[in-house]
Amino acid sequence: MQYMVKVFTLISLIPFIILSLKGFGFLPVFGFFSDLGANPIETIIHATGKWGIRILIITLLITPIGYYTKHELCKRLPKPLGLVSLFYILNHFLSYALIDQGGDIKVIIVDIIETPYLIVGWAGFLCLLSVGLVSLKKLQTWFNKNRSTISGIVYTAAVLGVWHYYWQTKVIEVEPVLLSILMLLLTGWKFKTSKKKS
Amino acid sequence: MSIKKSNTIKSYEITSESIYLERRKLIKSMSIASTMIPWGMAWSQSPKEDSYISAYKKNSIYSTSEPKNSFEDITTYNNFYEFGMGKSDPYQNSGNFEPAPWNVKISGEANKTGVYNIDDLIDSNALEERIYRLRCVEAWSMVIPWIGIPLANIIEKLEPNSKAKYVAFETVYRPSEMPGQRKRILKWPYIEALTMAEAMNPLTLIAVGLYGQDLLNQSGAPMRLVVPWKYGFKSIKSINKIHFQESQPKTSWNMSASNEYGFYANVNPEVDHPRWSQSRERRIGNGFFGAKQPTLMFNGYQDEVAHLYQGMNLKKYF
Repeated sequence: MQYMVKVFTLISLIPFIILSLKGFGFLPVFGFFSDLGANPIETIIHATGKWGIRILIITLLITPIGYYTKHELCKRLPKPLGLVSLFYILNHFLSYALIDQGGDIKVIIVDIIETPYLIVGWAGFLCLLSVGLVSLKKLQTWFNKNRSTISGIVYTAAVLGVWHYYWQTKVIEVEPVLLSILMLLLTGWKFKTSKKKS
Repeated sequence: MSIKKSNTIKSYEITSESIYLERRKLIKSMSIASTMIPWGMAWSQSPKEDSYISAYKKNSIYSTSEPKNSFEDITTYNNFYEFGMGKSDPYQNSGNFEPAPWNVKISGEANKTGVYNIDDLIDSNALEERIYRLRCVEAWSMVIPWIGIPLANIIEKLEPNSKAKYVAFETVYRPSEMPGQRKRILKWPYIEALTMAEAMNPLTLIAVGLYGQDLLNQSGAPMRLVVPWKYGFKSIKSINKIHFQESQPKTSWNMSASNEYGFYANVNPEVDHPRWSQSRERRIGNGFFGAKQPTLMFNGYQDEVAHLYQGMNLKKYF
């Protein structure tokens, strides 16, 4: 079982590995697809952001699947996959703050004020980061006592993340719409099952 | 010079039809090869033998001396939703587009309306290189060495009448060759327009090439508009209709989201897009750690165009 958890975690890291190989120019055989394109920082920010939210939503989908299938793997996967998602979002945030904005705090603050979808993204990032921090070993007992609070924060992070993605598209695109629908279904399911318990 | 109408079919056009089909097959087989070997790209991008560009004048007073973007950057990073929404989609999906032969329909408030062959509109002796900044509404920019002629040169031949206050342009509608047009991303065909004063400004260009060769399909072959002081979406590609009219035309992005994309769409660092800042831009090709640079009023062309908007509230008429 632990072996399968490792396999899935590794799979979720493949986009990051490919991105890194492209960044360092290790994929010369694929011609045009061998590098990060004309706007490399945009490629990195978009790819890490997209994979972060995709993996986060997959992580949230595992719980209902486990609820109905009772599969052992569904209990063990959410935490490592959630951390992988945080890893992508952390990269997404750091490449925006340190490279795109040059690490200038004043510039970043002005950019956030001028760019409404960034506020939403920031809020989501902070939610996810706080959950990531409490999942560290020392805070395990607190984590176990407050499971419902934790999952509430993760849901909030996911909703904000999808909103952040949707808000910056110039026209209606398929993926953010699809992710929004998934989040709506997930939230609905969450409310339904949590009502049953109480 | 006189204008010949294109309904007089020239003999070389008839014979070339069969050659086109053969050439299309050849290009297709080449593009398959190019996906396997990287240097195949160089073949499929080699200029055609019947180029629109024979000679052109360099050193225009309107050209910038800033470093030019590479041919690769200019032709692989594009917004051309007719070929898809990704930046590399136009490069990857435009192989089936056939930019020749090309006719343009002229209509509306002008004396010389009708259907013209591109060769009748583009005076090949007047071609010149113009190295312009291009600022996208998405806050990135490039420097591109266009080959073209002033739009004014074409408009003068068409003799618009006194009712012509605006000139509208349409991109060709060919869903079979333009996969993006099979989806309702925008209302097709794409439409853009200028006031007559903007259209007659010496900066406004109809480009047929860049870097000394014909425009590639992803760059808007065979002819496109270049309006360097406006956001890139105003510079409509693959034009096959030009219409002169009295009322302000409805333009594609303005119809899609009128609060975000105005009719004028002048580059203006003081008027932000409702969802993001326009005060700075990323110059493509400045490297991974390259800093953003401040965006200039009218994209740095205020000396040439500021008089067009004298006394106008640019926050209202964005």
